[in-house]
Amino acid sequence: MKLAWRKPSVEADDHIDEIPAPKAFDGTLFKRLFAEARPHAKLFAGAYGVLAALFALELAGPWILRGAIDGPVTQALEARQRHADAFESDAFVHDLLFWAGLYVACALGMVIARYYEVAHIVRTGQAVVADLRTKLFRHIVSQDLAWFDKRPTGQLVTRVSSDVENLSEMVTTGLCTLAFDVIKVVVACIVLFFLHWKLALVVSLSLPVLIGVSLFFRGGARDAHRLVRARLARTNGYLQEVLSGIRVVQVFRREERVSGRFTGLLGRYLEANMRTIFLFALALPALDFTVNTIQSGVVWTGGIEILGSSMSYGEFLQFWFYVKLLTNPLQELGERYNVLQSAFASAERVFGVLDTRPGLALAPAASARRVAPEFRGHVRFEHVSFGYVEGVEVLSDVSFEIPPGATVAVVGATGAGKSTLVNLLLRFYEPTKGRITVDGVDLREWDLAALRKRFGLVLQEDFLFAGSIRENLVMGRDAIDDEILAEALEASRAERVVANLAGGLDAPVAERGATLSTGERQLLAIARALAGRPDLVILDEATASVDSATEARIEEAQQSLLADRSSLVIAHRLSTVRRADQILVMHRGKIRERGKHHELLRERGIYARLHTLQFADTHARP
Amino acid sequence: MKHLARQFRRFLRYKRTLALGLLCIPIGAAADLWLTILVGDALDQLKTAENADFLARLFFLTFGVALVRGTFRFYQRWWVVGVSRYVENDLKQDLFDKLLALPLSFHHKNRSGDLVSRITSDVENIRMFLGPGLMYTLGACCMLPLSIGTMLVLNAPLAAAVVVPLVIMGLGMWLLSPRLQKHSLAVQETQADLSARAQETFAGVRIVKGYAREDEQAAKFDAVSRANFRHQVELGRARGLSSAITWGSKDFTYLPILFIGGWSMIDRDFQAGDLFKFVDLTFKVFWPIIAVGWLAGVFPRAQVSAQRVQELLDAPNPIADPPEPVRLDAVRGHFRLVDVSFTYPGAPAPALSRITFEVRPGEVVGIVGATGSGKSSLLNLFARLYDAQGRIELDGVPLAKLELATLRNALGYVPQDSFLFSATWRENLSFGSDHELSDAELAELSKLVCMTDEVTRFPRGYDQTIGERGVTLSGGQRQRSCIARALAKDPPVLILDDALSAVDTETETALVRHLKHAGHGRTVILSAHRLSTVRHADRIVVLDGGRIEAIGTHDELVARDGWYRTTWARQQAQEELAEL
Repeated sequence: MKLAWRKPSVEADDHIDEIPAPKAFDGTLFKRLFAEARPHAKLFAGAYGVLAALFALELAGPWILRGAIDGPVTQALEARQRHADAFESDAFVHDLLFWAGLYVACALGMVIARYYEVAHIVRTGQAVVADLRTKLFRHIVSQDLAWFDKRPTGQLVTRVSSDVENLSEMVTTGLCTLAFDVIKVVVACIVLFFLHWKLALVVSLSLPVLIGVSLFFRGGARDAHRLVRARLARTNGYLQEVLSGIRVVQVFRREERVSGRFTGLLGRYLEANMRTIFLFALALPALDFTVNTIQSGVVWTGGIEILGSSMSYGEFLQFWFYVKLLTNPLQELGERYNVLQSAFASAERVFGVLDTRPGLALAPAASARRVAPEFRGHVRFEHVSFGYVEGVEVLSDVSFEIPPGATVAVVGATGAGKSTLVNLLLRFYEPTKGRITVDGVDLREWDLAALRKRFGLVLQEDFLFAGSIRENLVMGRDAIDDEILAEALEASRAERVVANLAGGLDAPVAERGATLSTGERQLLAIARALAGRPDLVILDEATASVDSATEARIEEAQQSLLADRSSLVIAHRLSTVRRADQILVMHRGKIRERGKHHELLRERGIYARLHTLQFADTHARP
Repeated sequence: MKHLARQFRRFLRYKRTLALGLLCIPIGAAADLWLTILVGDALDQLKTAENADFLARLFFLTFGVALVRGTFRFYQRWWVVGVSRYVENDLKQDLFDKLLALPLSFHHKNRSGDLVSRITSDVENIRMFLGPGLMYTLGACCMLPLSIGTMLVLNAPLAAAVVVPLVIMGLGMWLLSPRLQKHSLAVQETQADLSARAQETFAGVRIVKGYAREDEQAAKFDAVSRANFRHQVELGRARGLSSAITWGSKDFTYLPILFIGGWSMIDRDFQAGDLFKFVDLTFKVFWPIIAVGWLAGVFPRAQVSAQRVQELLDAPNPIADPPEPVRLDAVRGHFRLVDVSFTYPGAPAPALSRITFEVRPGEVVGIVGATGSGKSSLLNLFARLYDAQGRIELDGVPLAKLELATLRNALGYVPQDSFLFSATWRENLSFGSDHELSDAELAELSKLVCMTDEVTRFPRGYDQTIGERGVTLSGGQRQRSCIARALAKDPPVLILDDALSAVDTETETALVRHLKHAGHGRTVILSAHRLSTVRHADRIVVLDGGRIEAIGTHDELVARDGWYRTTWARQQAQEELAEL
C-alpha cells in the first residue's frame, strides 16, 4: 500500500474559514490579560518562584554530579594509580557520601518543585479564567434583549465555555511557561559560556538551526491540522445530517448513494490526516536528529578539550546535561507557540464581547426612583410606537390605561403586536415614540430591578430552570418563606403537582423543566408569579393544548392571580376575556376595537371573528 | 479484550505496511543504543588516544547513525500511525453503513448524539490504543531489554539499582492514571454543566430579566464555575504528582549511578565512558516506560469503546426482506389496513389502535386530526418504517412479505420536517431520481410544484446551494422542493406528511391538482393540519387519539357535528381575518 503524503489542496467546500484561524502575537491582548490577572499577582509571584527554584535545582544537579566525579572519584582513581596500597577507602566513601547527600537533597527539592510547577501554574491559570468567566457571564446577562436578538445563543455559550477555557493557555503557556522558557534559554546559554566558552560557541551557533526546524514544522503542522479539523467537521456534519434525515434516505432507498458520499468525505479527511502524520513523523526525528548533531559536535570539541586537559570529565558531563536543559524548551517552542496562537484567537473573541456596551442604560441612574411603599400599579401607554427593526413598525400610536386593580386583556391574531406590549412594559425595549408611565412616572425613571420585583410575570415560554422546585418558585426573592409558598401553591392549584413529586418542594427540575408536563409547568409558572405577591401582573396565556381537567385548574389559578391586581393579559381563553375589565383588539400594530366582551360581540367587527377563531373549541366542549 | 482483539483484525487488512512499520521499530531502537555506545566508547578512548583524529571520524559516524535512526523513526510513525488512520476510516464507514441500514425504531430509541459519539470518540479511542499504542508498546519492548541488557553487561549491580526507580515510576504512573482519568472526567462534566447553565440562562433571558434574576443566575453560574475550578486544580495536582513521580524517579537513578558507579570506577574496571552510557541509557528507557504506563491507563476506556462499537455493529435489524420476498413488477397503489395498532418502543400508550380502512388505486386520501392524534405514525407504516400489529397490504400482499425494494421504490415520500441536504437544489432533487436530473427535467419538476419563478431567481439557478451555507429557503419553498424530489421518480404512490402547511392556499390548490393529474391514476395519501389541503380529497380519515373518529368526504364531515366541523369553522374565520 502506498500512503499519500502530499499536501492536499484546500477546496472550497472544505469551508476551512469556519475553523478559527490562529492569531499572531498581539501585545494589546496581553495587556488586557494582565489587567484581568492583577488580583492574582500573588499566585503569579508563586508561579515564578517555583519556576525559578526548579531551574536553580536543575542547574545544581549536574553541578553536584560534576563535583563528585571531579572530586572524590577522580582523586581516588589517581591515588590508586599512583600507589594502590595507599588508597584510603574511608575518606573516599566519606567524600562520596557528602556529594550523594547533597544530590539527594537536590533531587528531593526537584520532586517537590516539579509537583508545584504543574499544580500551581494550572491553579494560577484557572484562577484568572474562573474570574473572567463569571465577569463575562455577568456582562452578557446585563445586556438588553436587542443585544441578544442579534447574537445566536450557541455562540454566546461558546464564549463563556470553550473560548474562556482556551484562553487559560494564554496564562499557563504564555505568561508562565513560555516567558520562563526564554529566561531559561538565556541563562543556560550564559552558564554554558562561563563553563567553557569554546564548547558554548559551538552549541549556540547551532541553536538557530534547532529553532528554525522547530518553527518550520509547526507552521506546516498548524495549517495541516486546521484542514483536518475542517474536514472532520464536514464529515461529522454530514453524519448528523444523514441521521436527522434517515427516514428520507430509507424511503428513497438511497443508502448506497449516501454511503458513497460519506466515503468521499472520509477519504478527504484521511488525506488531510495523512499530511499531518507525515509532518509529525518528519518533525519529531528531525528535531531529535538536530539535537543529536549538536551533541556530536559537543563530543567532538569536548573530546579535544579533554585530550588537551583543558576540560575534566565532570565538566564534560555537566556541560552535556546543560545542553539538554537548553535544547528541551527549544524543541517544544513550536508546539507552545501554536497553543498560544489559538489562545490569542479565543482571547480576541472573549474581549470582543466584554467590550460591547449595553444599548439601553439599564443600570438605575443616580436619580432613579425607589419603588414607593404604596405602589398602585397604574399603567398608561401614551401614543406608543415601536419597531424591532428600523422602518418596520410593529406598534403604532398605541394608547391605553390599566387603572389600579383592573384587568386589561389583549386579543389579536399572530403578529398583531401583542407580545410587543409586554416587552415594552417590561422595558426589554424602549418605545421609538411616545411613553409608558407607571403610577404617573415615566418607565425610564424607575429603578428597573426594583420595579420588576413588583411585577408578577407569566410568559408563554413557561421557562423552568435546572434546580429544585423551590428554587424555581422563589427565584432568589428574599421575602418568600415556606408559608408564602404554600399559599401561592394553593392559590395556583399547583399543590398536587408538587405533592406528586418525590421530594416535594425540593424535587429536582431538569433543564427547561423537561420532566414536567406542559400543564404542570404552566401551573408552576403561575405559582411563581403569585409567590412574589405582585402588584402588577403580566400574563401571556399559553396556547399549548392541555387536557380539560388541567385546563380547569389553570383557569382557577389565573383567577386567583388576576383578582384585585392591575394586570395586562394576552388572552387566549374565553374565561379570561369574559372577566376582563377592558378588552383591546389589536390588528397589525394598532388598537382597532376596545370594550367589554358583550359590547364587542355586538359590534360584529374583528373581535367577533376572532372569537369564532380562538374560542370555537370552547363552544364545542361545553 | 475480546472486542479490542476483534477490532485489531481490521489492522491485518494492511499487514504489509503494518509489518514494515513494526520492523522499523527494533532497527530504530538499535541505532539509538548504538549512539550511546559510540559516545561512551569515545570517552574511554580519550584516555589512551594519541591524537584527536578519531573524534572527527566519530562525529561523522554518529551523524550517520543518527540519520539512520531518524529515518527509521520516521517510517515507523508514518506506516504504523498511517495504517491506524486507514483502519479508522474503514471502521467509520462500516458503522455509517450499519446506521443507514438500521430501522427507524432503532433511531427512535438511540439519541443521535450517542450514535455520533460512537462513530467519533469511540473510534478514536480504539485507534489510539491499537495504532500509536501498539507502536509505543513495541518501542518499549525493544528499547527496554536492549538498554537494560547493555547495562547488565556493563555493571550488573548498578543495572539492578537503576531498574528500581524505573519500576517505581511505572507503578506510580499506573496507580495514578485512574486518578488522572477521574479528575479529567470531572473537568469535562463541569465544563458541560457550565455550557448547560449558560445555554439555559441565555435562552431564558426574558424570564431572567423579567424577574430581575441576573444576579442570581450569575451566582449559580459562578458556583458551577467554582466547581470546575476545583476540579481543574485537582487535575492539576494529579498531573503535578505524575510529573513529580516521572522526573523524580529519573533524577534518583543518578544516585546509584553516582554511588555504585563511582565506587566501581575505583574498585573495578569501570570506565568514565561506562558511567556516561548509564546516564544516557536512563534517559532513553524513560519515555517508553511512561508510554506503557499511559497505555495501561487508557486501556479500560479503549475496551469500553470497543464494546460500544461492537454493540452497534451487532445491532439486529428486524425490518429486512423476508426469506422469500414477493416482488411486484407494477404497483397499482392499493393499500388495505385491517385492525392495525402500533405502539412506539418504550411508550406507555399506543400511538394507533385498531385502524381499518382502504386506499384504492388512484384515490386521494386525506388524513387529519389534532396534534398527536397519530397522523405521522400512520403514514410511517405505509413505508414500513416501523412494523405494526395487524395487517397492512399493498396490492393484496402483506408488507412483511413484500420485497422492501418493491415497496419503497413505489413510494414518493415527503417528510413533515421538510428535510433537505445542504447541497445544491439539483443534487437535492436528484436524490429522488436514479440519475442526475437534467435542466429540462428540473424545469418540468419546478413547474409541477409551482416554483419556476423562485428557482430562476436563485443566484446560481438549479445549482444553487441551499441550507446553512447557501440560500435559506422559506418553509413553503422547502416543502415544495421536497415534493419535487418525491415526484422525480414518478412514483405510483405519493405520501405527504403535512407537507403543504407553509404553502399559501392559492398555490396549494394548484399543487394538489398537479399531484393528482400529473401521475395518471397515482394514489396520493396526505395528512394535513389545514383542512383546505384535504378539502377535495376522495376520502378524509379523521383521527382522534390514535383511533378513527370518522371517515367521509369534506361535505359529509362538515355536515355532522365533530372535530372536523369546528376546526373547519375556525380555520375559515382565520382566513377571513387575515384578509382584513
